[in-house]
Amino acid sequence: MHEEMKDKRTSLMAGRRRFLQGAAWMSGAVATGLGSWIIGPKWANSAAAAIKVGIATDLTGPIAYVGNATANVANMVAKDINGAGGILGRPIQLFIVDTASTESVAVANVRRLIQRDMVDVVLGGITSSMRNAIKDVIVTRGKTLYIYPEQYEGKECTPYLFCTGPTPAQQCDQIIPWLIKNGGKRFALPSANYVWPRVLNKYARELIEKNGGEVIFEEYYPLDQVEYSATVNNIMTNHVEVVFNTIIAPGVGPFFKRLHQAGFGKRRGRLACVYYDENALNLNAPNEIEGLASCLDYYRAVTAQDAGSARIQTEYDKQFPGKILFSGAATGMYRGLKLWEVAVKEAGNLDREYVAAALDHAEISEGPGGSAEMVPGRRHCRMNMYTAVVKNGDFEIVARSTGLVDPREC
Amino acid sequence: MDSALNATFEVLSFAAIVVLVVLGLGIIAGMMGIFNLAHGEFVLLGAYSTYLVYSLGLPVWLGMVAAPFAVAAVGLVLERLVIRRFYAVPVVAMLGTYALGLIIREGVRSLIGGRYLSVPEPIGGSLTVGGAQLSCWRLAIVIITTAVMLASYLLLTRTSFGLRVRAALENPSLARVSGISTNAIYAATFTFGAALGGLAGALIVPVFSLFADLGIRFLILGFLAIMVGGIGTFQGSVAGAGAVGVLSAALPWALPPVLADVMIFVLAIVFVKFQPRGLIAGRRL
Repeated sequence: MHEEMKDKRTSLMAGRRRFLQGAAWMSGAVATGLGSWIIGPKWANSAAAAIKVGIATDLTGPIAYVGNATANVANMVAKDINGAGGILGRPIQLFIVDTASTESVAVANVRRLIQRDMVDVVLGGITSSMRNAIKDVIVTRGKTLYIYPEQYEGKECTPYLFCTGPTPAQQCDQIIPWLIKNGGKRFALPSANYVWPRVLNKYARELIEKNGGEVIFEEYYPLDQVEYSATVNNIMTNHVEVVFNTIIAPGVGPFFKRLHQAGFGKRRGRLACVYYDENALNLNAPNEIEGLASCLDYYRAVTAQDAGSARIQTEYDKQFPGKILFSGAATGMYRGLKLWEVAVKEAGNLDREYVAAALDHAEISEGPGGSAEMVPGRRHCRMNMYTAVVKNGDFEIVARSTGLVDPREC
Repeated sequence: MDSALNATFEVLSFAAIVVLVVLGLGIIAGMMGIFNLAHGEFVLLGAYSTYLVYSLGLPVWLGMVAAPFAVAAVGLVLERLVIRRFYAVPVVAMLGTYALGLIIREGVRSLIGGRYLSVPEPIGGSLTVGGAQLSCWRLAIVIITTAVMLASYLLLTRTSFGLRVRAALENPSLARVSGISTNAIYAATFTFGAALGGLAGALIVPVFSLFADLGIRFLILGFLAIMVGGIGTFQGSVAGAGAVGVLSAALPWALPPVLADVMIFVLAIVFVKFQPRGLIAGRRL
């Protein structure tokens, strides 16, 4: 009995010791940061101190498929740059951290990028709330350059913060007149209740009315709503001709399905959704979104018209075969890194003032969707825009902007 | 007129969906006193199994038939390994099931790569009834829900298994003395609840598509339904689910949607204030 108790105690103690070891290991892992890794250059010249590039993106969480695509693109571009001899004779080294679709996690991880890794530039953030959470850490307190690579609602005019994704003007200026010509004048604006749809709709509404259309209703829904019967009924009974949708996943798939079942497509109604890229095609069966119009800076179909895009797409597919697609959500990362490369080369050093001054008017001749250039003094990017329509489950380009489209921001 | 018919059908079909999801949750909560926070993930697993079968190139209906069995198996394993240790401590059970739910949810998220995937209905298209378009699959859900609801009710009230389940709930010690293995009964009840969750997931995945957070919204509606319906009775959770389902589908027709979402909770809280024991209070099966 006594022996048995002793045995039990020693095993309990061993258990506690193991627990402590485990805890120590865990806290070590947390402190150094699981879910972040460093990708160093693998070339001979890497004796020269590497230029440090921070990538902060959502590798986990609901929009991880976008985050992983942007991280993939960053890896691809870094490899490309290092393969061509680096920048200013120095290789670049990526520091990738997970923002985990959670602002509190992101701020801690980004702070580590700035304070411990002392990166020279940060690219990333996917949602606007993420950008707002981390921009202060990077730009104000971190005194570091920040490039935000996503399509967004605009109005971001913070110094040293450069945006390389499409703005409402770039998307709406192209697609609204097209929709009125190819859909009708009666618009409905069903939307998710957050900042992007609200700001985009304001711009879209002005443009719709200026082009002789009218907005029948503009309505906002909770972000996790999946049941849209009332909305669909409203659209059908009010004879809406164009549904300009800014509902996001998870609601958007069920919403389009209901709309299809209610006969919106059958009476030749036009669906439009400006964030729809190849990733979103999974959300519905092809016949449910037949004819859906979208407007972005890049679609896979662009590769048929633009050799540069084709080269990038092929390279991406070769390096990252699988389910994480290269789409409109990751193009800003390519553009951002390349524009920054041009800027650093022009500046000749990594001082924030000099690089920002050069980035202010940087241009690239090749990128996804074609060339792109920063608008001096505006910290936003001019780019080609494409209007595409879903045909048999894939995008077909129906219109292309004449030249680079102005972001009209700041 | 068409519009009224349409509205009625839409509201009814969504209520049926909520009832379907809540059935399993209600049986586990009512019969065993366990608030299974992993129920949403059982629904998700049912949806995922259906998708898996479909993605293998097999017909969707086959996935829907297989899903309840697959999820029942998962439920049984979890009950034997984890849940049964918590029967004496319901609060710990809530945390435990929450953890299980989290593991399942994140597991499925990584399996589907965090994407949103569509699964077609086994019966597509829509019926035109007097100018209104009624989705065939939603109609099928209404019918299947009614059948499952009746079958569950009969199982619990008219069979000897149901009698033993009720005995084990009412007075576990007496049941054990009378030769009923409460251990086995609890395992069977939990498995049955999980299977119902799996069935719900399988049936709703064509309507709402597959994504990792599919279960969460329904879990919250489910608990609201049980609160409104009254804890401890089968009829209570069904009635509660019906009420919450009708409300959450009908309110957006009358109010701005963001407000409607909040109003459901406000109404439920006001109701529980005046009727703290729920719609069907005290009357056990």
